[in-house]
Amino acid sequence: MSINLEKTFQDALEQVKTWARTNSPWLIHFNSGSCNGCDIEILATLTPRYDLERFGVKLQGSPRHADILICTGPVTRQARERLLRVYEQMPEPKYVVAVGSCAISGGVFQGCYNVIGHIDQVIPVDAYVPGCPPRPEAIIDGVIKLLKSLEAQEQTA
Amino acid sequence: MDRETTISQSLESARILLAPCTQQLLTPEPGRMDISLATADLLPAVAALHLNGWGRLVAVTGLDLGVNEGDLEVLYHFCAGAAIVTLRVRVPKADAAIPTICSLIPAASFYERELGEMFGITVVGTPNPDRLFLPDDWPAGVYPLRKDFVVPEIPG
Amino acid sequence: MQKNDQADKFIIPIGPQHPALKEPGHFEFTVDGEIVTGATIRLGYVHRGIEKATESRTWVQNLYLLERVCGICSHIHATAYCLGVERLAGLSVPPRAQAIRELVVELERIHSHMLWLGVAAHEAGFDTLFMYSWRDRETVMDILEGLTGNRVHYSANILGGVKIDVDAEQTKTILQGVDFLEKRTHHYLDVVTTDSAFVQRTAGIAVMSKAVAEHFGAVGPTARASGVTQDIRIDAPYLAYEDFPVEIVLDTAGDLKARFVVRVQELFQSYQVIRAILDKLPAGELAVTMPRRIKENETISRVEAPRGELFYYLKSNGTDKPERIKIRTPSICNFGTVPALAAGHQLADMPMILAGIDPCFSCNDRMVTIHRPADDSQTWTWEMLRQYGISYYREKER
Repeated sequence: MSINLEKTFQDALEQVKTWARTNSPWLIHFNSGSCNGCDIEILATLTPRYDLERFGVKLQGSPRHADILICTGPVTRQARERLLRVYEQMPEPKYVVAVGSCAISGGVFQGCYNVIGHIDQVIPVDAYVPGCPPRPEAIIDGVIKLLKSLEAQEQTA
Repeated sequence: MDRETTISQSLESARILLAPCTQQLLTPEPGRMDISLATADLLPAVAALHLNGWGRLVAVTGLDLGVNEGDLEVLYHFCAGAAIVTLRVRVPKADAAIPTICSLIPAASFYERELGEMFGITVVGTPNPDRLFLPDDWPAGVYPLRKDFVVPEIPG
Repeated sequence: MQKNDQADKFIIPIGPQHPALKEPGHFEFTVDGEIVTGATIRLGYVHRGIEKATESRTWVQNLYLLERVCGICSHIHATAYCLGVERLAGLSVPPRAQAIRELVVELERIHSHMLWLGVAAHEAGFDTLFMYSWRDRETVMDILEGLTGNRVHYSANILGGVKIDVDAEQTKTILQGVDFLEKRTHHYLDVVTTDSAFVQRTAGIAVMSKAVAEHFGAVGPTARASGVTQDIRIDAPYLAYEDFPVEIVLDTAGDLKARFVVRVQELFQSYQVIRAILDKLPAGELAVTMPRRIKENETISRVEAPRGELFYYLKSNGTDKPERIKIRTPSICNFGTVPALAAGHQLADMPMILAGIDPCFSCNDRMVTIHRPADDSQTWTWEMLRQYGISYYREKER
């Protein structure tokens, strides 16, 4: 019986990568036209009451270090290019969470002349967290659901 | 001295300061005084208030009087305590130009740039006329706060 | 101008996505070594076009749109709008509704100032204070949620009154929360005035004299920290501020430390007003009926938002939609002071100086950006840098 050493090594490496990714995802936050409501709730998830960091999550300043992009707000004409650029700068694999009604549908800002639409008209979105703004618990739930689905995805793959 | 008296004294002193430029004087609400001016009188009127220390410039509002009207109106709101004086200047859309007041009040620069971008009013002599609060790819000659710029109505 | 003025200029761009603030703004700091010599700000990343949008929505729809101008000071926007619309329609709002509005305004001020205290401390690298102040801020968030049903956009206002009431049990919860917060605020005041590491980051930094503050038209706590006596709650009382007044909080130092002290001390004023309101809450109706259409008229509404004077100009045209709504937010007034404040300070102080005026981009970006002509900046190629290095050291050796 021969063992494919290379394949075994690759499988083990993949498992380690999945484990690392789902246990310590780094987040980056981008506001593409939000009213701040969602932004302060995202910040609140990091503070002692909600403590998102207990899931290994870290809010990170640079897109180059991030696994998950958290987007808030509708997309304005001026922010569109920047949103794309931030997304493109993130290393693969990368995931996007749209937080708040505006990020999902444009919300109350539908029809404003400087709003071109919602997040998934510009970049692909993996998880949606509804609410105006969503409660911190809902944001945490959204991120955790995304992580769970990644785990499941990578196990079947 | 109660507040009502203070307000009426403030407004009275503004009325005297502005008397040489005043075309029409209205008191639309208690505590407010609207003074219509000719465009040429804007700078002297602002100087009269500013150099005599009457209040401070709080905001500048642009108005489009309607698609069929040929005029735009610019409102300079000055406040001293609870008293509000509004200087009103009408400019024709065809030749929308007003003088800058930045030489007296540098903080007006933001408002003047807004007038240029949102209403297409040329502010003569404003230190920075850059059209840059709208996105970089915004088409030239489109002024979103004019009444002929229509945004779709939302259902409901 | 010096001969090699251009060559010495180095521009550091920061943003719009950047770790310091949670909102997009693009800054360019011109530096000479570590010292900032000039600053420009490019905004507009969250400009949505709200003023125009108000013209195609009804008076009632606009209430919910304008509440979302800003998520931090949403209630004060709605209040300024309601006060203006009610004046246009000639409504007289029941005193109980006005008092409840004022109660929510002051609760919102507490949440906003504590939020700012945390963010500003974070900019200084003082994350302990950030975590503590945000932990304690949850107390006021709980109160707001219990009172209105939502943590951020409370929607306490309707045109003609309020849709929430305060019962005895809520009164008890609010008073307990306020007592706890007051105790904590004494601690924060102690920290921002005596913690030696923190004071080194704030005392004497970004000093703005009263004259400069008035020259650039600063408003709110930023102006009051420079000794400008300006507070709309006192100058032109609205809501129930005649019956439940606040005292002005002033500081004359004009530096970053003064801005911390003024905001923290304003919290005590808010606690005192909240207690006074709950003690003598007028009885009566919560709202009056608002007509659908408003005859042609115009009015001005001025209120004191957490960041300073908020100005609304409203014009009606006889229909169920406004003719024009102009919003002038406090942040735009305070932004004008940044280039003046930044000059001469270390690059590392910039986040603190920016945070010191408590900027709010979403409020601001509905309308304005500040920019310098493009030819002022310069891109250095590698070759140019190399040549500059060579000639610089040759000069030095001589």
